[in-house]
Amino acid sequence: MDLALLAQHALNGAMLGVIYALVAVGFTLFFGVLDVIKFSHGDVVMLGAFTGLATSIGLSSAFGSVPPWIAVIVITLTAVAAMALVGALMAKFLVLPLHKAPTLNVLLITLMAGTVIRESVRLFYPQGSNPKPFPRLLPDGAVNLGRLTLRFDSAILLAIGVIAIVGVHLLITRTRLGLAIRAVAQDPETASAMGIPFQATVLATFALGSGLAALAGVVNGLYYSEVNFSMGLLLGAIGFSAAVIGGLGNVYGAILGGFIFAALQTIGAVALPIASAYKDVFAFGAVIALMAWKPAGLLAERSAERV
Amino acid sequence: MSKRLPYVIATALLASLSLIAHARETVKIAFIGPLTGGVAANGLGGRNSAELAVKLRNADPKAKYHYELLVLDDECKPNVGVQVATKAAADNDVIAGITHYCSTVAMGTVDVYHRFGLPVIVWGAVLPDITYGNNYKEIHRVNGTMINQNEVAAKFMTGLKFKRWAIIHDTTDYGKGHDKYFSEFLKKDGGQIVGDFGVTADQQDFSAELTRIKELKPDVIYFGGITPLGVRIRSQMDKFGVKAVFEGTSGIISDAFIEGLGPLAEGVVAFREGAPADKLPGGKMFLKEYAAANYSDPPEAYGPFAFAATNLVIDAIEQVGPNRKKVRKVLDRTKDHDSVVGKITFDDHGQNSVPLITKFVVQDGKWVVWEDSEYASGKRSLTGR
Amino acid sequence: MRTPSILPALFATVATAAAVVLLLLADQEWEVATMAGVAVAVLLGGMRLGWGETVHRSATAHRRIVTPVTWLAGAVAIFLLREHNFELLMLCTVMIFMIAGLGLTVQFGYAGVVNFAAAAFMGIGAYTTAVLMNSTALPHPVVILLSGLVSAVIGSVLLLPLLRTRGHYAALITIAFGILFRTFLEVNDALGGPQGLKVPGLELFGHAFNDAIEINDDVEWSFYLNYAAGALVVLFLAYELVRRIERSWMGLALDAVRLDETAASAFGLNGAAWKITAFSIGNFLAGVAGSLYATITAFIAPASFTFSDSLILVSIVILGGLGNPLGLLPAALVVVVLPEKLQVIQEYRFLLFAILVIAILLLRPGGLIPRRAREYPE
Repeated sequence: MDLALLAQHALNGAMLGVIYALVAVGFTLFFGVLDVIKFSHGDVVMLGAFTGLATSIGLSSAFGSVPPWIAVIVITLTAVAAMALVGALMAKFLVLPLHKAPTLNVLLITLMAGTVIRESVRLFYPQGSNPKPFPRLLPDGAVNLGRLTLRFDSAILLAIGVIAIVGVHLLITRTRLGLAIRAVAQDPETASAMGIPFQATVLATFALGSGLAALAGVVNGLYYSEVNFSMGLLLGAIGFSAAVIGGLGNVYGAILGGFIFAALQTIGAVALPIASAYKDVFAFGAVIALMAWKPAGLLAERSAERV
Repeated sequence: MSKRLPYVIATALLASLSLIAHARETVKIAFIGPLTGGVAANGLGGRNSAELAVKLRNADPKAKYHYELLVLDDECKPNVGVQVATKAAADNDVIAGITHYCSTVAMGTVDVYHRFGLPVIVWGAVLPDITYGNNYKEIHRVNGTMINQNEVAAKFMTGLKFKRWAIIHDTTDYGKGHDKYFSEFLKKDGGQIVGDFGVTADQQDFSAELTRIKELKPDVIYFGGITPLGVRIRSQMDKFGVKAVFEGTSGIISDAFIEGLGPLAEGVVAFREGAPADKLPGGKMFLKEYAAANYSDPPEAYGPFAFAATNLVIDAIEQVGPNRKKVRKVLDRTKDHDSVVGKITFDDHGQNSVPLITKFVVQDGKWVVWEDSEYASGKRSLTGR
Repeated sequence: MRTPSILPALFATVATAAAVVLLLLADQEWEVATMAGVAVAVLLGGMRLGWGETVHRSATAHRRIVTPVTWLAGAVAIFLLREHNFELLMLCTVMIFMIAGLGLTVQFGYAGVVNFAAAAFMGIGAYTTAVLMNSTALPHPVVILLSGLVSAVIGSVLLLPLLRTRGHYAALITIAFGILFRTFLEVNDALGGPQGLKVPGLELFGHAFNDAIEINDDVEWSFYLNYAAGALVVLFLAYELVRRIERSWMGLALDAVRLDETAASAFGLNGAAWKITAFSIGNFLAGVAGSLYATITAFIAPASFTFSDSLILVSIVILGGLGNPLGLLPAALVVVVLPEKLQVIQEYRFLLFAILVIAILLLRPGGLIPRRAREYPE
């Protein structure tokens, strides 16, 4: 395999990695503040993508043709805002009431919430069971570097993803909200005692994570030019895997995990002497092996057991 | 008293007349297809068409029975299909079935129908083994198999001077069947297969496969699979700069495919057995009635077959009454039976012979018969040439 | 203290059996809706008036009579449905899910080992059965046992990562295994690929389960009667096994390991060994359930053993009340039969079902019949 081809595969993998990382960060944030897994996360990604799609249709029917870059911004902001709201609502009415119940119940209730989202899109979005074309709003061109094709839209999406990830990093390390999130994650009781509103912080965290999911959904839609109601299932499972490989509760771990998972898939599809269809078998098998080696993820929390 | 007597008699007569009209025995027929999931559009089109046939017959004063359609959803999954097929077959009130769009499902359920002795007519699944892989007298099929379809597909495309093919197929029996038959015919016609990729039916990302295919520089990508996967692959081909003609099978001939791709669907070719509905006298009637019934979903490619199959079943029941064994025997003997998809004749495996294969190409957001298209007249050329 | 009367327990048993038969035979939406309404009313009323406690005391005091009566009621229920193919099939499915649920009860409920791949382990059992029955002449009861064993053995590859991890990390391992297993089946041609495999019918001492039972020319009993009876026997064995584990010192040890592994090991309990035991027993039961499933449906495909199916099994265990095998029956009925009966509103069934589960989790988080604290006989 020559260098150009290798670079092409690396580029494709990086694109997947960004999407996975955006999803994984949500998982890790929720786990950080509440020690819960919100399994509807993949479906929130899907709902975000459909919100974006509906917005774009609404936009073009209301104003005729809109400059693509305005459309992209409006779509993204609407989807992110809507999903942030959905995330906060789910936290308030589904997750927080079960906070004291066994963690398994939270997993189950969010899973069912995911089913509700998925089925609602299928049933109530017009012709929701069909795959939907996502508008192509990014410039079409490409640079050819020898046999390596770098498309502008991929580059832009890659940049959006990286900016979002850096943004989350800054938010968590440099702002008051970030401080509150970190405090609640570390010790909810002490945090409340110090005057940090527990519920508000949790809701904000869920809004943040779900907003990122919406961004992942829109990026996914713009990248593949297609969205469908069932896309969230596997994305959710992959995002969760990525968050766990990295070490739950650790934002950098989630990002790392996202890229690792994408790399595993790409290696499974390209570099191994087996049919490319085995790539998910390979990737998930590698995840299991990785867990046997590093039981608490690659970037594990310092204390092995929090009591 | 005496003055009112005639009225009383007349009322009684009318009442008994209407009673006779209403007292037609109700006969249940099952319809099974994918009503949810990625190919739901085809399933809903088929269901509406079957429902339409039942409705029209119930409105016919000459009909001996009142028909009721038991609609079941197989979700295009074999395990669910077996479950609902068992439900239909185990219900003694169900006399016959109009069953399955997905080949994978039909392959799983034929045993169930045989076990319970329920005569069925397949309305959309194209894998040959559904009828030819067994000796079950209960199984019939109005649409053709994928063999003829691929024979024409290979001959036609090599005739257009394409040389190199890359094949992507899903790993169900359906996808593998298309892969097998198309490869055989293509080799015979002198085409070259530069790569063959099996993918799971719910795969989302094809960057790895398409990047490899791009290196292989095929003229045509042959896709053996159904709509949702086809939409994804065609749209990602564009992303990864694979400039080849996209050649599909009957499994992608649906409005949902075009809706899913928008302008990218332009120039996609696919093949289906049977003449297009609007080219047949009965087909025009069907399309008119369908439009008049105001369904929210289009009939899709196999709606006419579901309609024809339903009528075939009803005709058999009218002839011998609601008895599974008798109905099965009538269906087995079907010969030159007029229908909206042309004359139906079942061979000893219950397979209708549909010799005509229609070639389709997407032009301006519609599936157009190749001969009527601007591609055939030379005004446009297939992409990648 | 006065010995409680036996009547409440007997009444509850008979009423439950009757309700199951009625529910299965109901073919009108309003009938199902009414029954669901009555069930909710009984549940709420029972909670308020302490019926559960009354029944529980009565059953405990007369265990020797009530237990056989309960299984007899199950047999009678099956017999009442003898001519109804589909209803029997649904009842079989309910029992199979209960057997797998018993396995999960041992894993989740007793030892606290998570398993989000229960459907995959059912799948291993089902595929083992298909392969063994298609290519060997082993007696079928042996095949069923072997299917359970293979499932437990394959499960042991997950032991190393499972023992090293805890909580959600362990959950991920089983989730990854579930997805991996399904994808592997889909791309692997040797086991039929996505198309699946056909499975021949069961045979026991020359009696073919797939033959309908002809009583006379007019009366024919469904062949599913064979399977329902067989499933009931297996369910009985599995239930007794699990109950005995719970009541014995093993159950105590498992509880100790689940509640506080560190403390348990301080008392000389080997946590890892107990987790291995529980995980293997659970997978064995799941494998047996899968084996029965394969022979009853006569057809298996990867799509039957997906991650979503594993989640359905977990929902059953949680809905019923984690750690309480009794809760499995109502939970399996809600999960298996209700969506089937609500097919009139077909397209909305998953949506309604999901909303129902959410409501139950919010309003009655301990499940329909919560597990009781251990009682020690005086």
